[in-house]
Amino acid sequence: MTAEPVITLDHVSRIYSMGRLDVPALVDVSMTVQPGEFVAIVGPSGSGKSTMMNIIGCLDRPTSGDCSVAGTYVDDLDDDGLARLRSRTIGFVFQSYNLLPRTSAIENVATPLLYQGVGRKERMARAKAALVRLGLGDRLDHEPTELSGGQQQRVAIARAIVTEPSLILADEPTGNLDSHAGEEVIALLRELNATGRTIVLITHDNDVAAMASRQMHMRDGRLVA
Amino acid sequence: MSVLEQIRLAVSRLRTSRLRAALTMLGIIIGVASVVALVAVGQGTTANITSQLSSLGTNLLTVNPGATRTGFTRGAAGSANTLTVADATAIAGLSSVAAVAPQVSTSLLVVDGDLNTTTTIVGTTSAYPEVRAYDLWVGSFLTDASIEDHLRVAVFGATTATTLGLTADSLGTSVSIGGLPFEVIGILQAKGGTGFPDPDDQVLLPITAVEKYFVSGQSVQTIGVSASSADAMSQASADITALLRDRHGLAGSTASDFSILDQAQLLSAVSSVSDTLTLLLGGIASISLVVGGIGIMNIMLVAVRERTREIGIRKAIGARGRDILAQFLVEALTLSLLGGALGVAAGLGVSMVIAHIAKWPFTFNPLTVVAAVGFSAAVGVIFGVWPARQAARLDPIAALRYE
Repeated sequence: MTAEPVITLDHVSRIYSMGRLDVPALVDVSMTVQPGEFVAIVGPSGSGKSTMMNIIGCLDRPTSGDCSVAGTYVDDLDDDGLARLRSRTIGFVFQSYNLLPRTSAIENVATPLLYQGVGRKERMARAKAALVRLGLGDRLDHEPTELSGGQQQRVAIARAIVTEPSLILADEPTGNLDSHAGEEVIALLRELNATGRTIVLITHDNDVAAMASRQMHMRDGRLVA
Repeated sequence: MSVLEQIRLAVSRLRTSRLRAALTMLGIIIGVASVVALVAVGQGTTANITSQLSSLGTNLLTVNPGATRTGFTRGAAGSANTLTVADATAIAGLSSVAAVAPQVSTSLLVVDGDLNTTTTIVGTTSAYPEVRAYDLWVGSFLTDASIEDHLRVAVFGATTATTLGLTADSLGTSVSIGGLPFEVIGILQAKGGTGFPDPDDQVLLPITAVEKYFVSGQSVQTIGVSASSADAMSQASADITALLRDRHGLAGSTASDFSILDQAQLLSAVSSVSDTLTLLLGGIASISLVVGGIGIMNIMLVAVRERTREIGIRKAIGARGRDILAQFLVEALTLSLLGGALGVAAGLGVSMVIAHIAKWPFTFNPLTVVAAVGFSAAVGVIFGVWPARQAARLDPIAALRYE
């Protein structure tokens, strides 16, 4: 492949300072993800995969090493720049859905577009299209508490794809779902991957990881095999 | 993100917690309403006092006799008998003076049929209505001829006329004043107001008749002087001083045996007092506005804590720090401005009711309204900025993990 990688980590470490104690969460990690890949990062809890996700997702900065996302070096950006990068190139799917409370499904999905400065009419049209695509056309005005877990996660996925990001980061997206709903979500992610989107899935579940085209295993803050 | 979008977001947010928003606004509403109402009360009082004072007479100077002196003991001001009708006549000759009305007062029993009252009897001249700003309701006033001839005629104040049951039909009839029959020739229009003594409770007689029948001697208690214009008042005052000192044979450094009271000085003294009062009332009310602002800050801080996770989500999906800052600031501003608007309405309502009860004209002061709304906006910004900054600075990862 000659295309520029979506993600490049070059000797990245992340150390948390807890008072006098330095806790290394990520140690000298180097890896790349190419466009169109479906990568699973697998590891037990405490292995550093959430830290990895935060750094790839531009929510956090490495203590040392270089990280570039969609061709942009994260180190070169201020907080506003990071926010813009997240807004334009990354869609997040979280374990606990993280929908805005007391806010309808369509408003939730439209919110990322709000921060891109898209007008209300277009926002609503695109949010509706995304929800319809995920089979939630009849749930537009439901608030999160009125939806099942699987439905909430599908709203979250709609929110992640409404900005047409090149990268989707999914952090344990099936963790709170029963097996049936979980399979549905994985199928959705594969479908999105088939349309050319790069997907990075973080999980501790080997069965879920097996759905990805490539797996990276983590242990104690390092990539193993 | 446009301001309109921010306002829409803030309003939809506040609608989800209506009771809390209403209670928070109540602080601002009460603060703004009390500022508006109390300032209106202060201004109403000032207007009322000013109009009452100016109803005492236009460009009025009052000349009173000085104090008596017995050895080292100084009597009350006005107790001496140094002013005379001749003094008044001389003052009337000054060019800075428009009209002069000397007054001799006493208190007598007035009887009409089976009604009677003891009231103030004022002996004066034909210039009295001009100097003291009275209007005649019915009949005629004292004429120069009636004064020259010591005529037993009487003009009644409105209150006294009512007490004695005198009406327009009573003109030409006779009442007994101090045991002597006097002809009713006129009744004055009421001045209203709440002065003490009641300016409408008196009977006016020719000064010559009062001196002839009731009060011995030629001295007068007060000389009312109307200066030729408002600008001429200090000139008139100086002229009168010079004239009377000359007439009373006072040389050089001898103290004057009379004093001159300037209506304008009294007016400005009183209105400066009530201006201070207005400021004081407004200041006290502003305190409640500040307390209301602290209420907003409190509720916004609670909201930031409560909505930490929401802030994390918004940041993860692309909100910049300034978007979050704007969101919370606009919410605080919406609360304070909406509260301010409702407060202005409530304040105007209250001041209308007070003006109605106190029977003074309702004065709408746009400046107060602008100041109150501006102040509440400032309260929103000042007390909203801190919580909003706290929200904007939250670390997205920590915020997302927050339960």
